[in-house]
Amino acid sequence: MGTIRVRFIIVALVVSFFAVGMAAFLNYFKYKSTISGIVKSRVLVIGRNIENSVQASLSVGMQFMELGTMNQLLQREKASDRLIRGIDVFDQTGQVLYSTERTRVGEKVVNAWTEAAARSKSTEWGTEAADEYVAGISLKNNFDLTVGYLAMRYSAEEVDRAAKVAGREILLASIFSFLGIALVAPLALIVVIRRFERDLRALEAAASHLEDRTEPALPTGSAFDGAIGNLRSSLRDANGALDDLRAKLDSVS
Amino acid sequence: MMRALLALIVIAFALEAGGDAQAQVTTRPYRIYAITFRGMTDVEKGFQDYFAARRIPVQITFRDLNRDSSRMPGFLEEIRRTKPDLIYTWGTGNTLAVAGTYDNVDPSVNITDIPIVFTLVAAPVLAKVVRDLKNPGRNVTGVFHVAPTESQIRAMASYRPFKSLGILYTPTEQNSVVVVEEVREVSKRLGFTVIAKPLKLDANKKATAEGAADMVRELKQQNAEWLYLPPDTFLGTIAQKTVIPAALAVGLPAFASTEQLMETGAVAGLVSRYHSIGQFTAYKAEQILVNKVSPAKIPVETLTRFALQVRMDIAEQLKLPPPLPMFNYAELIVPKPEEAPAAPAKQ
Amino acid sequence: MLEKNYLWRIYWRLAGVIMVCVVVALAVVSYFSHRVFDRELVPETEQKAATVGASVRALVLKATGYGIDFSQLYGVEQTFAEVFEENPEFAYMAITNTDGNVLYARGTEPIGARTHFRNPVVLQIAHETTDLSKAARVGQQYIVSMPINNDGKPLGVLHVGIDAAFVDHVLLEVLLDVLVVLVVSLFFTLELLNFMAGARLASGLGEFARQVDRMKAGDFTATARIRANDEIGRLLRRIDSAIDHLNVRYEFLAGELQDKVRTATAQRREALKPAQAALEAITKRLRFGSAPQAADGDEMNLNRIRAPLFAFILAEELTRSFLPSYVNQLIVAIPGISPQVVIGLPIMLFMLIVALGQPYLGSWSERVGRRKAMLVGAVVATIGFTGTALAYNLYDLILWRSLCALGYAMVFVAAQGYVLDRTGQQNRAQGFALFIGAIMVATVCGPSIGGILADNIGFRASFGVSALMSLISILAIVRLPATEAVLPTGKPTRGPRMREIMALVVNRRFMTLTGLAAMPAKIILTGVCFYLVPLYIVSIGNTSSMAGRMLMVYAVMMVLIVPLSASFSDATMRRDRYVSVGLIISGLSGLLLLLSDSFLVLFGVVFLLGLGQALSIAAQSALVAEHCQEEIRIYGHDAVYGVYRLLERLGNALGPLIASLLVILWGYQGSFVALSALVLFCGIAFTIATHGSEWQPATPAHP
Repeated sequence: MGTIRVRFIIVALVVSFFAVGMAAFLNYFKYKSTISGIVKSRVLVIGRNIENSVQASLSVGMQFMELGTMNQLLQREKASDRLIRGIDVFDQTGQVLYSTERTRVGEKVVNAWTEAAARSKSTEWGTEAADEYVAGISLKNNFDLTVGYLAMRYSAEEVDRAAKVAGREILLASIFSFLGIALVAPLALIVVIRRFERDLRALEAAASHLEDRTEPALPTGSAFDGAIGNLRSSLRDANGALDDLRAKLDSVS
Repeated sequence: MMRALLALIVIAFALEAGGDAQAQVTTRPYRIYAITFRGMTDVEKGFQDYFAARRIPVQITFRDLNRDSSRMPGFLEEIRRTKPDLIYTWGTGNTLAVAGTYDNVDPSVNITDIPIVFTLVAAPVLAKVVRDLKNPGRNVTGVFHVAPTESQIRAMASYRPFKSLGILYTPTEQNSVVVVEEVREVSKRLGFTVIAKPLKLDANKKATAEGAADMVRELKQQNAEWLYLPPDTFLGTIAQKTVIPAALAVGLPAFASTEQLMETGAVAGLVSRYHSIGQFTAYKAEQILVNKVSPAKIPVETLTRFALQVRMDIAEQLKLPPPLPMFNYAELIVPKPEEAPAAPAKQ
Repeated sequence: MLEKNYLWRIYWRLAGVIMVCVVVALAVVSYFSHRVFDRELVPETEQKAATVGASVRALVLKATGYGIDFSQLYGVEQTFAEVFEENPEFAYMAITNTDGNVLYARGTEPIGARTHFRNPVVLQIAHETTDLSKAARVGQQYIVSMPINNDGKPLGVLHVGIDAAFVDHVLLEVLLDVLVVLVVSLFFTLELLNFMAGARLASGLGEFARQVDRMKAGDFTATARIRANDEIGRLLRRIDSAIDHLNVRYEFLAGELQDKVRTATAQRREALKPAQAALEAITKRLRFGSAPQAADGDEMNLNRIRAPLFAFILAEELTRSFLPSYVNQLIVAIPGISPQVVIGLPIMLFMLIVALGQPYLGSWSERVGRRKAMLVGAVVATIGFTGTALAYNLYDLILWRSLCALGYAMVFVAAQGYVLDRTGQQNRAQGFALFIGAIMVATVCGPSIGGILADNIGFRASFGVSALMSLISILAIVRLPATEAVLPTGKPTRGPRMREIMALVVNRRFMTLTGLAAMPAKIILTGVCFYLVPLYIVSIGNTSSMAGRMLMVYAVMMVLIVPLSASFSDATMRRDRYVSVGLIISGLSGLLLLLSDSFLVLFGVVFLLGLGQALSIAAQSALVAEHCQEEIRIYGHDAVYGVYRLLERLGNALGPLIASLLVILWGYQGSFVALSALVLFCGIAFTIATHGSEWQPATPAHP
């Protein structure tokens, strides 16, 4: 009686593995995107403060290349959040104009930054490297010409740590609920399968007595009663006809 | 003396020690012939700053009309002789004198074969400089400087919401009449009433300041919550002495549409910074000179972001501090102590 | 029939039990996720509140720096409102003075806030000079408080309230996806049940039912078949043995009678007459002996096509909801062609290759063998998917997508051929139901899961999943029977000839059906579902998951309505009326966007489109047979249907092209509306055109 039962249970396990796996996947990624969204928007709040200052300076006629207080401003804003590792302002060619680290001024930023900034359809952009995330803002002048970009580098650690903790717990919860299913589902399925198996058994039992000329076994209550009845009556009919022939033959001798 | 007015400025490219010379090396600098109306303003500074920042070599010859149109023929003659790469014109008068209107060009007088970039023309279509802002269609393009009327109304409402708006304007200045019409249009959409009062005209059909102060008081009585000062030349001349003091006396805040009106003592205004306008004009010039785009295809535009200016002393006087969010983006002006609120500001 | 229903009842019951288990498990996972979210997200959000608060405080200090009195600030509430707009998880903000009296506030004040603000510990914050902030739970909020301090002079305290329920909102967003997973799981369960156990069970029970019927009809011929060693196999063997016994008995009796007759005297012969008559009666009524060798296990082999087909189609369907967005990302400006059209280009090309390739691939797959053809197709598509995942820019993407299209066409045609080879006149419909069933379930599961994947692991990795799925289908194809079923009538199928295409394209009756019904239906399907929905949804700031859900609504409508309309359209109403109604409903769908541009309306659009398509799709192709009998007589059934399918599939290719051109003219919404209007127009034209008496069904089945 094994094969069908095993097959049904395998189906149950495969499906619940899929469902629980997808749910864990969804929860984990939702968590990760939410938390990195929160952290990013926190960094962007600081970025907006800087943008406002730059905007004010530009609109009173200062040159973007000659914002004297910029480096200090960046230093001050960086200090306001321990998450931020550094802030750079670079121009369209990727050359750093201002930075919290003096040594970076004049250097070129990695291509990924300029590409991400160029690709973004809004003024905000971002990239994610292995250990460092970047949240950026495109700085525009009074006639919407992009004059440069603001990039805030922040540690990926915070997000990663949180994601790792949550990931582990969600994974554990999923494994346990999957194991739960693996234990419960076969039991629950057996109730349904039993009935099916009983029907099949009844059918088989009926079939094994097909040739008994005895009157039909009591109805099994299965869905196959009709079919079995048919089968029996067909066989009976045929046997009857042959019996008749036998009798006729015998009567001659 | 023309000689005295001549100011030849060559922007030489002192490439800094680093020597990160950009690829934009040309055999000779672009030659620009600039005609100003009342001497050097911030517009010209922004114009030059832009080229400097972009490291585009230009050689600009500045000529000042000094409000004397008799000098124009001399300039035109010089343009024909020196054949500059581009002509820069300041203001509607200069622009029309050089380029003519789109429906009336006299090749013997107007310049047609050299690209013209104008600046500070308040209403380029109304003045017939171009037929269509998006598509100038002639060898002329440029920048206008008045913020769209709706933006101004919205800026006013974000300072203090209002239900009723008062306007003083000169009925003989077409520019002002059009703006008043636009305000009425906007009022239908945003839901406020407009009380517009034309200034009185004298026997010669010239506007006078007579009765202007009374009109301001009437506006206040009719529950106007703001006094809007449209880009009106005559109003500009009487605002500081007559209109603003009357408004301050009855506690009616004034909102300025141009930087000059702002200087007369309005509490707030949405204005184009001349420096930005100059930069934008230079950007248009760059399109023509460096990118070789035909002026006919370069749209005539204004800034996308205007300066919201607030006079903090007037705000205090009126007991109308700017709303908190405005501290983020507004330009807060605190006059030096010796300048009294209603005293003449620098011209 | 009884046995089919019986099996489905069992399936549903099993699926029900499995679903209950899955729901419980999902609830458990969600509960634990909520706990983690709560614990980890709240401190992060408090950090953010502190940063946002600091920025507001800086503004306040700037204002007071200009000499404005701290208690006379204007527009503070407006600043708060702007903060709420950008940070929906903040529910309340307030500034108190040093006595704890609220000066400015906005949002929902939590119960107990006033007492909290006056708490000496909280008031002490005002005297802090560092950037310190403190958080506390007050009512339904977490309140983060920080000092407002002007160079050592305490002014007051700024409070930011975080809605404690914001975590619930975050999880609620996941819940929608979890629901999608649940629906997909259900379909997946049924498909798997069918795959794992069903194929054998169904064929076993079917065999049993046929045996019963055969015996009832008096056919006791023995079938020499190898029975599987399972429950059903044993059952069938019992019946076989009963039949064998019967046959032996018959043989014996017949032999005995024959012997007796041969050796008997005339008188005895007379006596044997009744027996002979009885034997005659028996042979007239019943049949014995051995049955001809029937095509071995056809039904079971037929069923085996379902799994590989499902896996393969799923690979392609996964990409539906995000392919346009992916193209958008890789886009390269092609001079002279608008980017909108360029985005549609890969989809268009895909459909074109499928449309033009099918007629020729049909005979090809016949020559090389169905299994081999499917194998080649799946390998080609796997390469295509892998290439798509790694695409450098639009140009190579188009190449990779073309490979996918070629593979798709190969597998599709070969699988279709596989079904054709193994079905006869009487069970062909059933065979195709199976074929379509696998595709439909894939369209339900694919786009929704694909959208979820794309949002979370990115476009490229999602194409990787498609490649994996395609690879799995290869494994399933390998397990198909290697021996090809040879059609008794070995007439090779062929693609339609140019002459036939030309003749039919100018045929009014044929083109009324094709040009006014079949093609517009396909144009709106691919234009809306494959092009507009994914792009529009993303353009209004929604996600690929949402696009996937939309497409799932469409697919679910198809799955639910098609079987209904297929059986009804034979019974209650003329088929052309179904097509009319379907087209008109499809045509009305996009007009909904005239009401509002919300994405909820888009659900309505997709719902109506699904309904309309489902109503007309079954009746459409049957109409060709019904009304083009004349043409079929001249050109042959295959040619007419070949041209019909070709044009229909060209409609598939035209859809994205037309939609993209309309987007250039009128934007996304305009494109939806215009495309629908076009179909509405065709629907009305079709209704009018088929109104005349020549369109009366040849044999009015129902007066």
